Amino acid sequence: MGIKVVPRHGSTFVEKLYLPTIAGGLKVTFSHFFQNLKDTSKIKTLSYPEQQPSDITSRYRGVHRLTKREDNTISCVACFLCATACPAECIFIEAVDREDGVEEKMPSKFSIDLLECVFCGSCVEACPKDAIRMDTGIFSFVKKKREDFVVDIDTLLSYKEFKGDKS
Amino acid sequence: MVTITVDGKELKVKDDVMLIEELLANSISIPHFCYHPALGKDGNCRMCMVEIKGQKRPQIACDTPIKDGMVISTKSDSIQEVKRSILELELINHPVDCSVCDQSGECSLQNYYMDVGLYESRLSTTKVHSRKKVDLGANVVLDQERCVLCTRCVRFTKEITKTRELGILNRTDHSVIATFEDQPLTDPYAMNVVDLCPVGALTSKDFRFNKRVWFLEPEESICNRCAKACSIYVDHHKAKYEADAIFRYRPRFNPKVNGYFICDVGRLSYKIENENRLSVALINNEQNNYDETSKELKSLLAKHKSKILFLISPSLSLEEMLMIKKLEKFYDAQISGYDVNEYDKDFGDDYLKCNDLSTNRRGLNLLNIDENENILKEALSGSEIVVFIGRDDIEILDNYKNIQSQICISSSTPKNPQSYNIYLPVLTHTSKEGSYINIDGYLQFSKAKVLSQNDTKNLIEVASELLDEKVLSCEQIYKDELSKMVDNITFNEIKIQSRKLSSI
Repeated sequence: MGIKVVPRHGSTFVEKLYLPTIAGGLKVTFSHFFQNLKDTSKIKTLSYPEQQPSDITSRYRGVHRLTKREDNTISCVACFLCATACPAECIFIEAVDREDGVEEKMPSKFSIDLLECVFCGSCVEACPKDAIRMDTGIFSFVKKKREDFVVDIDTLLSYKEFKGDKS
Repeated sequence: MVTITVDGKELKVKDDVMLIEELLANSISIPHFCYHPALGKDGNCRMCMVEIKGQKRPQIACDTPIKDGMVISTKSDSIQEVKRSILELELINHPVDCSVCDQSGECSLQNYYMDVGLYESRLSTTKVHSRKKVDLGANVVLDQERCVLCTRCVRFTKEITKTRELGILNRTDHSVIATFEDQPLTDPYAMNVVDLCPVGALTSKDFRFNKRVWFLEPEESICNRCAKACSIYVDHHKAKYEADAIFRYRPRFNPKVNGYFICDVGRLSYKIENENRLSVALINNEQNNYDETSKELKSLLAKHKSKILFLISPSLSLEEMLMIKKLEKFYDAQISGYDVNEYDKDFGDDYLKCNDLSTNRRGLNLLNIDENENILKEALSGSEIVVFIGRDDIEILDNYKNIQSQICISSSTPKNPQSYNIYLPVLTHTSKEGSYINIDGYLQFSKAKVLSQNDTKNLIEVASELLDEKVLSCEQIYKDELSKMVDNITFNEIKIQSRKLSSI
């Protein structure tokens, strides 16, 4: 892999004087300030939750889901690669023999503790079967009890793929 | 000894063995499937190819005798290409179902693919399919598609167990491993083929899908199922929010005791260990706090001083036996190692199993602990309190009305806990260190220390508390007292390997 050398800023005379660049920065800040004062409709801040975000894309890492095969059965073969890759160790799997002839092995239990999850996406990358994805677009997961944040296999299977921007 | 040159490095090696043995002994990586030190060469897999100067073609290291002055290359581009082609051929019909295969993580095919393979599949036709998940019996599951036909399992049943159950059926790419007319495997060493199999063709039904192997942490120990005390690895893992548990035993190579194998009964005895790890302290069959129970025990022993009989199991370690001997002196008590239960006349055979089921009966002899039945009877009639240590044969007290209290200090919860006034659990065999003498007089050290999740202590700690002494480690006890009894064999020596005692 090649290494790109990035030049360090701050060595010219004007930059060393410090104040001109400060003024430059303040100019940007104040231009936004007055612009927003004149017209509040362009402010980027959302009044969440009354206002929902409209820029969630299909590659946004939301709550996980377990995918299904074409025959509508679970894709996961309980290989534990997601649980191995998980830096938060928040994936809990138990494996059993699969009897329907599609595969040899399947999970009897597959839970993700969303309170421990750091949403890094390592599980999705590790999966050799494309069985776990984070494309549900669910960015807000609110429950009243700690235990409710441990999402079980049926719930994970019930989530659907989120396509495109929310609008 | 002769000198050979391997990849430009000179090595002094033995000249009466095959090349692969010395290469592996010198930590030179040589991919191989069919060669196994216990089964010898077969020369069918062709993976161990090396280049030898002066020879026209690459040679298999497993069937090449060593000659003085050989110049060998194991890493040159041309030999790597040879190995890659052979591996490609081995893998041509392999299902590559590593994600569901229990072998992945300890699979030779996976390792060699990463070492010398790394090719794209060139197969344009469909792969040959054969039977998957064939239950061979004796806890062995066969997957014919994953097999590389190295015949290690076939040679194991032919040469080691001499049962000749497994064989190869059919020809060419329809060749499969099978038993005659699907008759189940029955020999008591059958599960060794699971360890022997370099790929995922033979897997254990007992271990099936329980744990991925890369989570397991191996600890060195010795099996406590019978007096042979084979060397084993204890593979355990503590999953998050769960107790540390043992998932399997594997044989550990020990040329003096068990070679490369262990028996199936010993291999599956890890289940007893897992059960015992859950034992809790009981007073009059009611669950109690560990420290309170141990205090209660102390006061009871003090009350009946000089009317105490310690009935010890011949499976305790030498260090533990020494501590009990100290207790004997401290409480002016009697001690007996007479035990008929740890003996099964139908268990033994002429290989690795023996009728004596205790781990350390020879330790009793070494420490002069009495094993005589008549002396035990005499001691029983003069005692008020009997402490069963590591054993649970309460029926021995049946005709003795003079016994007021029965105490059990053992890793396993008694079969009839209501018969004991106090039950104090101690750490199980794989959770404690200790030295043992096996039936052939080998002094061995068991190192496994699988963590216990509750406050259970080991027997040495319990005894030290009863003696009001500082708790000593096994190493200290060994150095202070044992070493002079066992031909001055040092602690570090038995930590590394089993040592034969001349005095026994």
